[in-house]
Amino acid sequence: MDLENFTISSFHKRLLNKEFSVLEIVQTLFKFIETRDKEINAYLSLLKDGAVTEAERVDIALAENKFVSILAGVPLAIKDNILINNTKTTAASKILENYIASYDATVIKKLRSAQAVFLGKTNLDEFAMGASTENSGFKITKNPFDLSCVPGGSSGGSAAAVAANMALAALGSDTGGSVRQPGAFCGLVGLKPTYGAVSRFGLIAMASSLDQIGPITKTVEDAAILFKEIAGKDEFDSTSVNHAYDEILNSSIDKIRKLRIGIPKEYFIGGIDKKIIEGVEQAMEKIKSLKLEFKEINLPHTKYAISCYYIIMPAEVSANLARFEGVRYSSMPEVEEKVKTLRDLYFRNRGSGLGVETRRRILLGTFVLSHGYYDAYYAKAQKVRELIKNDFVEAFKEVDVIISPTTPTPAFKIGEKTKDPLSMYLSDIFTCPINLAGLPAISIPVKKYKLDSGELPIGFQLIGKPFHEADILGIGQFYEKLEA
Amino acid sequence: MISKKDLENLAELARIELKESEEKKLLKDLESILKHFDELKEANTKKVKPMTGGTFLENIFRSDESLSRLDPDGAIKQFPEKTRGFLKVPPVFE
Repeated sequence: MDLENFTISSFHKRLLNKEFSVLEIVQTLFKFIETRDKEINAYLSLLKDGAVTEAERVDIALAENKFVSILAGVPLAIKDNILINNTKTTAASKILENYIASYDATVIKKLRSAQAVFLGKTNLDEFAMGASTENSGFKITKNPFDLSCVPGGSSGGSAAAVAANMALAALGSDTGGSVRQPGAFCGLVGLKPTYGAVSRFGLIAMASSLDQIGPITKTVEDAAILFKEIAGKDEFDSTSVNHAYDEILNSSIDKIRKLRIGIPKEYFIGGIDKKIIEGVEQAMEKIKSLKLEFKEINLPHTKYAISCYYIIMPAEVSANLARFEGVRYSSMPEVEEKVKTLRDLYFRNRGSGLGVETRRRILLGTFVLSHGYYDAYYAKAQKVRELIKNDFVEAFKEVDVIISPTTPTPAFKIGEKTKDPLSMYLSDIFTCPINLAGLPAISIPVKKYKLDSGELPIGFQLIGKPFHEADILGIGQFYEKLEA
Repeated sequence: MISKKDLENLAELARIELKESEEKKLLKDLESILKHFDELKEANTKKVKPMTGGTFLENIFRSDESLSRLDPDGAIKQFPEKTRGFLKVPPVFE
């Protein structure tokens, strides 16, 4: 079976034509994963029983000629910080190694009612903190395009699973680029929705004012299909918003041609890999052939984004992760040694159950919130965040969509940035401003990349106005038609 | 900059046990990260209101009723030690 050429819509068409059953696909995939994932390490756990049950259910519905949704039987990989009822959810942390979720995240509930199939839970940087998936408490995921390189992070397992054809599409979460950057590194599409577009209920919280769940897919059309399914207001996430995304899948070229594209000059200077610049320029040429207007814009405060982000995010992390003490959410495995008091238990469990980067961010967050430093760091960063957001508000008076690179470099080597956390943080330079401003953005591969070509993929980013996912997904869908 | 004593105080506040051996590396990392943050000083934020997050900043209300749509047994099952549906932990005071 040519798993490689499946997209969600081609899978659906062929399923309706009875070219295969869902069960066949699912069994083929698990067999393939068994060998392929030995070298990639994308999955933390497989959900064979649940997947087979769901596959059979879809096959029966099809045999009875019942209507099934476009996502019926679609085999998905889910980042392991998203809760699936009654299954292990670890966030790639030792402190949650034995945690069994007791409910479905809202996105899972929605995909379940669309009869999607969940193949397994994928690896990530512990609690989604990192840009390489090297911070996982369990294993290191490799980039299917070059096994000596990282797949990006933090949703690296999800991206690697899709890129290596071990899933048709995946869900990740994006706090500062964690869906878009692994998408770019693995030649895939990654969509970070507008803050509030998708419910965060059942996503293990990292930084609540920045987190969003988003799809990682082979095509922009697939991203649009998945996004439409998971978006919407949810009573369990009061920041979620209802919005009609009617035109997401059937935009017209005439409408798309009315969109003006901004090029932020601050995003094209210094420190960016030559190959990235070439790639983004190539993408811009192609978009120009669709006859869209381009215009230079300014985002003067974008240079502060990394500092701003690495103050606000750890501050929220230090609060959100206070709940993990290795007691309420299952016990840690190797804790035998007795402690005398509850306090001792907290220190011991959090000292040994949380990884190096997680502890670093909790300490940094505790610092920027602590007495005497709050104003200089946290309060200052919140104001700078407003300036960064205002840059976008001003720019969007002149243009409708902004184009930029997704990452400053293609996928880097495993181990290259682990010693120096600051160098790892700088990889978020083009993606984290978007989370600070709460905007939607998508990373799209410059072209179709072949796994064995020896070439490392490059992605470009389209940033939209709040709740204008239709604009960036629309341009993206016409862009990929140019490719075909 | 952060001293060894500051770091130990932060670890105390965050309830994290630090190994003596990792303190040096942590101090060095935090120092270079905080140095990077210095660039924010030059940003003029005199008349700027802080952004506290969110896309639509409006209050959300719901009626004051208890919702028990989640199964508490699933959560209780996770407790390492329990008694009568409560989590059992070591004593707070020695």
